[in-house]
Amino acid sequence: MGKVFDPSLIIEFIPTLVKYLGVTLEILVASIILGTIIGIAAAIPKLFHIPILKQIVTLYISFIRGTPIIIQLFLVFYGLPAVLSLINIDITRMDALIFVIITYSLSNGAIFAEIFRGAISAVEFGQTEAAYSIGMTPFQNFTRIIFPQAIRVAFPNIANTVIGSLKDTSLAFTIGVMDMMGRGETIIAATAHALEVYIALSVIYYVVVLILEKGFKVFEKYTNRYQGTDASVA
Amino acid sequence: MVIDIPFIWVAFKEIAKAIPLTLVLAIVPVVIGFFIGLVVTFIREYKVKGIYSIANGYVSFFRGTPAIMHIMLVYFGIPMLLDSIINYFNLPYETNKIPIVLFVLFALSLTAGAYLSEIIRSGISSVAKGQMEAAYSIGMSTPQAMGRILLPQALAKSIPNFTNLSVGFLHTTSIAFLVSQKELTGTANIVASSNLKFLESFIAAGLIYWGISIIMEGIYYLVEKRVQQYSKGGVA
Repeated sequence: MGKVFDPSLIIEFIPTLVKYLGVTLEILVASIILGTIIGIAAAIPKLFHIPILKQIVTLYISFIRGTPIIIQLFLVFYGLPAVLSLINIDITRMDALIFVIITYSLSNGAIFAEIFRGAISAVEFGQTEAAYSIGMTPFQNFTRIIFPQAIRVAFPNIANTVIGSLKDTSLAFTIGVMDMMGRGETIIAATAHALEVYIALSVIYYVVVLILEKGFKVFEKYTNRYQGTDASVA
Repeated sequence: MVIDIPFIWVAFKEIAKAIPLTLVLAIVPVVIGFFIGLVVTFIREYKVKGIYSIANGYVSFFRGTPAIMHIMLVYFGIPMLLDSIINYFNLPYETNKIPIVLFVLFALSLTAGAYLSEIIRSGISSVAKGQMEAAYSIGMSTPQAMGRILLPQALAKSIPNFTNLSVGFLHTTSIAFLVSQKELTGTANIVASSNLKFLESFIAAGLIYWGISIIMEGIYYLVEKRVQQYSKGGVA
């Protein structure tokens, strides 16, 4: 702070920061894929009303939705080594990136579990009955009848979660990950041009979000292709 | 490293002192943001010339960048802007005397305004068009129809979204610790580093956030029940 604002530095910083976009996207993609797997696993006990597991999953979802991501980040960062040291596994030297990916996967998993459960319950039970009545197996029923209809309901929420998750990755630097934000902090420490760095970072995040939004819109249209014209409004 | 369970309670009591500041940071921006959101929504709905595209850009940008950027941009940008104005007019003010919490509140209000304008807009579009036509047909003016017919229904339908946003903003306040605010996360960080008990402090902070979130959801649930007792649609 205290230095004169220099707009030309914004353009100068963008290429340096974009090099670290890969780390940000790596966190995003890994946590979305792992989060989907956790989400499916967590949605099953709720959909099939499995006792005990259902209560555990409810507690897990409630905790993730009730605490900020930054607290979850710190809990995993300090908690996981403590828990694993009880069974004599030492991970104190593990890359901070792994902790970040674990946290964001757990966080996305809870949100996905709710989205999947909601979307599958949104498909009428009559659809399942109809599928069984023409002799489909439960697996065929799920893959051919329920899933294609559920994904249409779930997709806008999934898209929002992915975009929200991208924005959340900007907090990974608090436990020392060298992503775009982390690199930005080092530039600030070196040049003291904080405002220019944050403007450059905002521009990069904004562009990535706009590209994601455009892509999701195309896919959303695809999932709605049999819905007539007014489905895009709903 | 062994987890010191009794210390969680010690940390809990210490961190709980930060609840009032956290609630201020969570509630004030949502209230201010609500009014920003209303204004922006009307600019976008009525396509007011000139400022229409500014309103669109505002919503798009603030929804497209992380809240931490908004806090940082305001925290570093506004003092610079004010300083240059003060220097230009030779005013007897100093920007470094402005408390940081005001910058955080300002930044979060702008963030909340963008999100709330989208929520209000989707609430308005969910009210049937015939409602406005019916209001006009009995001779109501546009402000009357808006204030008495459209907005009450639109806002009632937006309550689940308001719940999510309010709880989301409670969680967003945790970012304020990065500009050295002593709210829940900031206090937890201080308690953690002064006692070197990181895990215990953040468990305590997590429990407090969780508790406040559940209470908030409960309050909104009661409001929703109260508001919707006249609108018995559907199958219920």
